Amino acid sequence: MAASAARVAVALRTNIGRPVAFVRKIPWTAASSELREHFAQFGHVRKCTVPFTGFHKGMGWIHFSSEEELHNALQQENHIIDGVKLHVQPQKPKALQGDQTSDEEKDF
Amino acid sequence: MAALLRPARWLLRAAAAPYLPLSLRLLAGGPGRPDAAVCLRAARARPVAGGLLSQARLHSIAAEKKNYLQEEPTSSHRRNASQFDWALMRLDNSVRRTGRIPKTLLQKVFDNTCHSGSPGGNQALLLLRSCGSLLPELKLSERTEFAHKIWDELQKLGTVYDVSHYNALLKVYLQNDHKFSPTDFLARMEKGNIQPNRVTYQRLIAAYCNMGDIEGASTILGFMKTKDLPVTEAVFSALVTGHARSGDMENAENILTVMKEAGIEPGPDTYLALLNAYAEKGDIDHVKQTLEKVEKSDLYLMDRDLLQIILSFSKAGYPQYVPEILEKITYERRYIPDTMNLILLLVTEKLEDTALQILLACPISRESSQNDFGSFFLRHCVTMNTPAEKLKDYCKKLKEAQLHTSPLQFTLQCALVAQKLDLAKVLMKALKEEGFPIRTHYFWPLLVGHQKEKNVQGIVEVLKGMHEIGVTPDQETYVNYVFPCFDSIKSVRAVLQENGCPHDDNVFSQAELRSKAVNGNLDYILSFLESNTLPFSFSSLRGSLILGFRRSMNINLWSKITELLYKDGRYCQEPPGPTEAVGYFLYNLIDSMSDSEVQAKEERLRQYFHQLKEMNVKIPENIYRGIRNLLDSYHVPELIKDVNILVEREKTDSRKPSSSDLESKLEKLKAENQPIGDILKQLIVMLCSEENMQKALELKAKYESDMVVGGYAALINLCCRHDNAEDALNLKREFDRLDSSAVLDTGKYVRLVKVLGKHGKLQDAINILKEMKEKDVPVKDATVLSFFHILNGAALRGETETVKQLHEAIVTLGLAKPSTALSSPLVTLYLEKDDLPAALESTIDCYEKYKILPRIHDVLCKLIEKGETELIQKAMDFVSQEQGEMTMLYDLFFAFLQTGNYKEAKKIIETPGIRARPTRLQWFCDRCIANNQVETLEKLVELTQKLFECDRDQLYYSLLKLYKVNDDWQKADAVWNKMQEENIIPREKTLRLLAEILRNNNQEVPFDVPELWYEEEKDCPTSLPSPVEVNLQQGLLNACHRRRNKDAFNIFLTAKKQNIVFDNETYARLINLLLMKDNSTQAMQVKDFAETHIKGFTLNDAANSLLIITQVRRDYLKDALTTLKTALDLDQIPSRLAVTRLIQACALKGDTESIHDIQKLVNGLEDSIGLSRMVFINNIALAQIKNNNIDVAIESIENMLTSENQTVDPQYFGLAYLFRKVIEGQLEPALKKISIMAERLANQFAVYKPVTDLFLQLVDSGKVNDARALLQRCGAIAEQMPILLVFCIRNCQRPGKAPVMKSLLELIPELIDKEEAYTCLMKSYVFDNDVTSAKALYESLTAKNVKLNDLFLKRYAVLLKNAGESVPFTEPPESFEFYAKQLKESKETHL
Repeated sequence: MAASAARVAVALRTNIGRPVAFVRKIPWTAASSELREHFAQFGHVRKCTVPFTGFHKGMGWIHFSSEEELHNALQQENHIIDGVKLHVQPQKPKALQGDQTSDEEKDF
Repeated sequence: MAALLRPARWLLRAAAAPYLPLSLRLLAGGPGRPDAAVCLRAARARPVAGGLLSQARLHSIAAEKKNYLQEEPTSSHRRNASQFDWALMRLDNSVRRTGRIPKTLLQKVFDNTCHSGSPGGNQALLLLRSCGSLLPELKLSERTEFAHKIWDELQKLGTVYDVSHYNALLKVYLQNDHKFSPTDFLARMEKGNIQPNRVTYQRLIAAYCNMGDIEGASTILGFMKTKDLPVTEAVFSALVTGHARSGDMENAENILTVMKEAGIEPGPDTYLALLNAYAEKGDIDHVKQTLEKVEKSDLYLMDRDLLQIILSFSKAGYPQYVPEILEKITYERRYIPDTMNLILLLVTEKLEDTALQILLACPISRESSQNDFGSFFLRHCVTMNTPAEKLKDYCKKLKEAQLHTSPLQFTLQCALVAQKLDLAKVLMKALKEEGFPIRTHYFWPLLVGHQKEKNVQGIVEVLKGMHEIGVTPDQETYVNYVFPCFDSIKSVRAVLQENGCPHDDNVFSQAELRSKAVNGNLDYILSFLESNTLPFSFSSLRGSLILGFRRSMNINLWSKITELLYKDGRYCQEPPGPTEAVGYFLYNLIDSMSDSEVQAKEERLRQYFHQLKEMNVKIPENIYRGIRNLLDSYHVPELIKDVNILVEREKTDSRKPSSSDLESKLEKLKAENQPIGDILKQLIVMLCSEENMQKALELKAKYESDMVVGGYAALINLCCRHDNAEDALNLKREFDRLDSSAVLDTGKYVRLVKVLGKHGKLQDAINILKEMKEKDVPVKDATVLSFFHILNGAALRGETETVKQLHEAIVTLGLAKPSTALSSPLVTLYLEKDDLPAALESTIDCYEKYKILPRIHDVLCKLIEKGETELIQKAMDFVSQEQGEMTMLYDLFFAFLQTGNYKEAKKIIETPGIRARPTRLQWFCDRCIANNQVETLEKLVELTQKLFECDRDQLYYSLLKLYKVNDDWQKADAVWNKMQEENIIPREKTLRLLAEILRNNNQEVPFDVPELWYEEEKDCPTSLPSPVEVNLQQGLLNACHRRRNKDAFNIFLTAKKQNIVFDNETYARLINLLLMKDNSTQAMQVKDFAETHIKGFTLNDAANSLLIITQVRRDYLKDALTTLKTALDLDQIPSRLAVTRLIQACALKGDTESIHDIQKLVNGLEDSIGLSRMVFINNIALAQIKNNNIDVAIESIENMLTSENQTVDPQYFGLAYLFRKVIEGQLEPALKKISIMAERLANQFAVYKPVTDLFLQLVDSGKVNDARALLQRCGAIAEQMPILLVFCIRNCQRPGKAPVMKSLLELIPELIDKEEAYTCLMKSYVFDNDVTSAKALYESLTAKNVKLNDLFLKRYAVLLKNAGESVPFTEPPESFEFYAKQLKESKETHL
């Protein structure tokens, strides 16, 4: 029964302040180890995820240990793996959803 | 395709409204709509040529037919038409972009057409026409087969064919070289009672001719003659082909003469027929001659025609002549798709060598490294099973020709997509030879295919293949792709051994371990780790272990495993060692859990931490801090102290003094009788961060008299964290005694309330709340959320009084609004106790007090579960009475759905008169998505199928969202079909979502995914604008024009009620008007509505600036900041006033952070906005001062003024604003320190601007004595003439400043010698009618023999006259303006 309460909290939680780079256009030939290797030059890569189901979808997330390292990575203009240019951008924090958990208020 | 837009234009004319509704504007101007390209391509239509590539015309013809259809205004037609629109758009897009249609796309459009029930004739036509040369990737026979399938299927569904369909079929036959009997075809038409037309005959002649049957062709020609049908060039061209194919080249050539005699000049089509005829015979000489002849004539052959000749040569087995024709091709850009299609066709026909030849001849720009033009060729070769060795060779050639950067990799990808293991192996070997690494994940696409089918043999084959290539499967390979195929890991091992699949035992057993971990089998993990002999790193197991921990509730196992990993040399050998590894593991464990999960498992986690402590497991301090922050953000700070016990103390930062160092230092100072306040605070803060409550409290008791505010604040917080209500309360009292005006930060107050409430000290908790109100502690969203957590926690513990009283206090004090969320604990209280009558009572009570119904849905669900009919009735009566029957029905509907009573739900939603309520439906959808209730949501969608005005697409969209969460592409695919069945035209966002799900699962997307051209389209009403809409909009705009905000707003409300959406512009004007009239609530209401109904709705610069000012005035600073961000994101330049107001408001709140944010936001725009750097400097300092960070503020100002690289010239470093606010706010301590700073700057650094500004502000606020004292201390102030004069000039512009000016003159008498100064003084006295002072001034000036200017004298004279006094000199005769001008001119000449 506390589910609705939990939802409020989850909705309000954000991932602000986590230094994560969102990488797109990863060539199919590269997987997380290649990404990790590449991004290690900018700092300590805490975690590197590239979701796979057979092929990956060209997207991955690099978790750095500090904002500064993320900044270093973003500063670099070209990121090239296996001859392909990656798109690197900071991970946007999930939007705050406000505390309207129910429609009663909206429905008047 | 312009034809597509024709119906839209027609509608526009019909509506004749100046403001188009959204849907039409999209239709008229939307990108992604076909353009004229296809028409262009169809410029030369050749109906008989039997041509390869002259198909594109079909769509424009189809669209014309559709145009005719649309003009019939019945709704079923409209629906059909939009269905057709959709199909047309998809096929057309494909043709336009690539000149071809992929088979899958055509298949999907065909399936959808079938599903739509009764496909119209135009749809049939469209489909049939697509089955010819637009399918170059299909063998000729397959294309015809497809056409027949479509023909038969649609006929079964009741499509009525007319002659156009038969002609289309004939065309397809011709394009596909399909052998058939023309007489049979005619007979079929006759049976169908369809009259053949000219086109039919022409095509039948062509059919005969293609077979070389001149006799047959002549018969048809005879028919045509008897019917008096004209014989066109097309017929002659066909006869050329006919004669040639019958082996009679002479007569073929003669046809041209015959034509001329018949008065028809042979055109390109005829020559092309002849050229093809020569090509089929391999007669290159004649081909060349003919080409030359054509060149000399005024005729012109296009690339497309030349490609046709190439095809003829290749198909007839003369590839050697291809290069000669290729030379003649000009490669016009628009024919590139045609060339590509020829290449594909040749590959399909197994003529891939020729295809490559053509490809290599393509003049594609090869400079850019991103050019992979050859991909389409390679992909098709893979599909058509071109031999691997050949492909390798092609790759090499493409690379050499720079037509592909990585052809081998690309071909390998195609092979993997197509699940071709053998080809993949050859390609991987080739890659390896070239020195490229072969990575393990290359094999995953192959494995995933077998894994889905649980094909063990297939898996084994791939694993063998890996071995062959020399790639060892890694853990991921086993865990994700191999194990799922088998019932047990044991059987995997057995099967691998049986089949001679070698595997690395170490990798395999670790994979097994991970697999077990993921499944929560911690017993296995422990025993494995104990008996394992191969060392491996802890971190490789971390992710799976975390999942395993979360699935198992056995804390003892948690601890034992952690201990083992921590202590056993086998697992944590690598640097940075076990402390880091375990610390990081704990961090990740908590991070991976949601806050509700951590809250639910609080006790277990505590137990776990304490067990770890007993096992002597330690974690580094920096990781502890990370965990602390996590727990804080999860609202479980109570766990922090339990983690803290694990911190490795010895290694804490050695640079900092330890607490014992500080303590001895403290004792030493005390012994020497020196002040110890600062060091005591430091020590207490340090002990607090070490969570050493006992020691901190002892210390406080010992040195109570030296305690400062900061130390108390830290201590209070610490006690709260340790759940120590008693001490926290006592400390708070001592804190108040020390300084009753001191304010804690919001978080500390909230924690106090929480702890006090939890320990039954209700009255004390309420007192804290009251203090929050009295001291105006800022209440942010997060604070409200904390309030909720406090209440909810108490509700879950069943503490009725706590919940009720605290809620009451929070609401009546106005700390937070009684929102549904905040009030829900009032109901939770009883729901948790299963006391349903009380729960219902409480909900109803909330309605009576606050007009909200918290948790009514949950209450109803429970009532239904328990079968409390009477209470249900009561609830329903109440809702019905208060909120209307419809609301009640929805409440009941959702409750029945939620509890699985679908039959009852169905009955409710079928109540006559019920209609769709989008917000409520969406609410329930979102709820289902959040709770992953697939069945419930499916039922909702199913049951609302017939609901009146229900936005089906939106519901399906929600359903797809849920399927996406679960990655269930099969169900998503089924939704697609259901939508077709229901005849729903999906919105683009729905299509995109569906495509995403399918793609994520490596499924083919059966439609062209609409490109994202603006974020998401929220609402695109499909209906036409009704006159009502148009009238309302007109009315609204008129009202705006006349600035009648009330009328305009009322029209908006009316429209909103009827769900009418206007356009961007209309809302923007209304909002501007409302803001100008200072009606921000209404403006926001309009803005919200516009934003939710028009995606991408934005306000313009002026409106956003107005909005910021209004928001600042109403103290919605957060909103104002958001508005500013939005405006800047849109590249708008907000007004200086708006930005300054916002900054100043933030400063007054002490919100330094926001000011810094604003500074970052406007960085680079300062000049455009007209913002001085000083605005930031002043306000940041002010904010810091408001936060009691006076020293920080002063230090940073001093730094700015004394550092080497000054950003602002000291003489412009105006701090007047800051000084004024500090003086006005009577911030005495700050004023004192600022004064010291200003003097220091003057005395030590010779920077006089600040001290002079301060002096002037003191004078300005009437603090003459303070000003005098300052002047005495710092005499240089009197020398700062420029600053003083500017002050005078500014002040004399405003009335009421005479006393200020007078005091200033008293303090600095030298001023009187300056002309600017005495002019200003006189101006001020005149302003304030201060005759006495004016007289005194005049006299003292004349006493000094100062020569006074005319303007001064004129002013003085007028003042005296108005006061009825005589003027002791001749009044200057001219006007003020005259003398002002004169004075100005004289000054300019002096310069």
